[in-house]
Amino acid sequence: MGTRDARGLRTAVTPERLFGGVLLLGVVILVLDLFRRVATGDLSADALSSFLWRGLVDGLIIGLAAIGLSMTYSILRFANFSHGDLVTTGAFTGWTVAYIIGGIGVADLSSRLLLRADGGASPGEMNMHILAEPIAIVSGLVFAAVATILVALAIDNLVYRRMRNAGGIALLIASVGVALVLRYVIAFFYTSSTRGVTASAPESDHWLLFWTDSINLHQTTMVVSAIVLMLGVHLMLQYTTLGKAMRAMADNRDLALVTGIPTERVVRATWIIGAGLAGVAGYLVVLDRGTITFNLGWFLLLLIFAAVILGGIGSIYGAIVGALIIGLAINVSLVWIPADLNEVAAFGLMILVLIFRPAGLFGGVETA
Amino acid sequence: MGLLEVSGLDAGYGDLQILAGVNLVVDAGEYVAIVGPNGAGKSTVMKSIFGLTAYMGGSITFADEEISQLPPERIITKGIGYVPQNDNIFPSLTVKENLEMGAYILDEVPQSRLRRVYDRFPVLEERKSQKAGTMSGGQQQMVAMGRSLMLDPDLLMLDEPSAGLAPDLVEETFDRVDQINDDGTAVLIVEQNAKEALRRCDRGYVLVQGSNRYEDTGEALLADEQVRQEFLGG
Repeated sequence: MGTRDARGLRTAVTPERLFGGVLLLGVVILVLDLFRRVATGDLSADALSSFLWRGLVDGLIIGLAAIGLSMTYSILRFANFSHGDLVTTGAFTGWTVAYIIGGIGVADLSSRLLLRADGGASPGEMNMHILAEPIAIVSGLVFAAVATILVALAIDNLVYRRMRNAGGIALLIASVGVALVLRYVIAFFYTSSTRGVTASAPESDHWLLFWTDSINLHQTTMVVSAIVLMLGVHLMLQYTTLGKAMRAMADNRDLALVTGIPTERVVRATWIIGAGLAGVAGYLVVLDRGTITFNLGWFLLLLIFAAVILGGIGSIYGAIVGALIIGLAINVSLVWIPADLNEVAAFGLMILVLIFRPAGLFGGVETA
Repeated sequence: MGLLEVSGLDAGYGDLQILAGVNLVVDAGEYVAIVGPNGAGKSTVMKSIFGLTAYMGGSITFADEEISQLPPERIITKGIGYVPQNDNIFPSLTVKENLEMGAYILDEVPQSRLRRVYDRFPVLEERKSQKAGTMSGGQQQMVAMGRSLMLDPDLLMLDEPSAGLAPDLVEETFDRVDQINDDGTAVLIVEQNAKEALRRCDRGYVLVQGSNRYEDTGEALLADEQVRQEFLGG
């Protein structure tokens, strides 16, 4: 009798479920409050729509980076803490190329090579925005992917390949080391100062998305690039032989080996896709924010991890959905809390999901 | 010369030796069973032939070629198919994708072989778009066999294909193995269900503590008083 009661109690209200319930109640109240605010006009439809748009922008960027993190987790079986610094690598290498091409005749080469580490000609003087310098900015985007891929392959060759069977914890710790090396090598060359690199984004009122008066063209570039790349990854994974092999290896590495799937080639493809997307994400973050700093990726990494965990670690679709939820949460929460604290909303949601669905929203449903 | 000849094979995992001087022959088109008590090293023999254990000595030749030091991705190209006992499918891939993975080493998926696998296992064609992980145990076993048949191997190695299946499915699985063998593929099978395996096979080996103990036709082993007493429960 006593044991049955105890068991009943344990499944009914564990402390974490109690905490989760309170958290869930809080979320429900906030959502209801959001409706009330919109209905009573406390929050204008315009303001809400701009929060939602920002949420989409942030969510897609985080999602782009989260795909790679999720893939390295499911195929190489470790949580890669240097992923954020691959994002930073993409930002610096890509913008360096954009400056080399776009700043010809405005600033001298050394200033452009080091991305205004000397405080040289301002981005405004260079007209560094998408309409004035489309070729420079698109070249930078492509180079961000290429350079990040090369860096990731070099790191794999130097570090991770030698410890392929070392286990998740050893690899994780190695990746923390890689993260620190990458970050401070970047700081060594580009200095640790935060600086503006893009001119203010041109606005267009031609198409009115999200009921706003005009639309920021840098954010639009970002959203379009992110959606195209995500679609590309989806098609690649579902319909190409390599994509199927990647999913197979994520499913069952030993069987993949016995089936004759070249596991090292799959690993290389994983780095190429994951690092390429991370580099592009870093480049686009800077396009949107306008400023660059050596620990940009490191700070983004927490949100990337939150997205991956929220969606169910190992699932790229989960990572994208998780990232969109995180992006919306950090922006819509601005209705109630100041911007300095808005990441609380992201991690609060993550805790909530972990309490009620420990494997994540898509956990165990879909790998790779 | 046999198709597969294993002689004096020593192998194990890490520093731990499991097999000591195993001898085994499978002729082209033959059906050979390995039986024996738990822990005798039956599955280890198969894994060793496929290059998945630590090689410690002896020789393995397949079609007159030494394969004992080759990695699994090379061995698969020689004409040996292997269906492991557990985790032998890709659960989140569809049935068709699982079969396609079986032919990964070829430049393209041979449609005629896919056709033959579907003819052999019609349920796989009906469910080709279903995720393999959501199928029943018996159907998953068909996916696994179908995958290894995609390369049209000369020798198919099956590690306990009937393990964990309901009794009526055990019979069906053995029937399918018979059919595969009737079509000309040599079969090497490891079975816990020793009596059934010995009834069906051409020849059998009784493996005890990592070495051959008895070797004869299936019928003769079943009739042997000592084998019955020691290994077949009387």
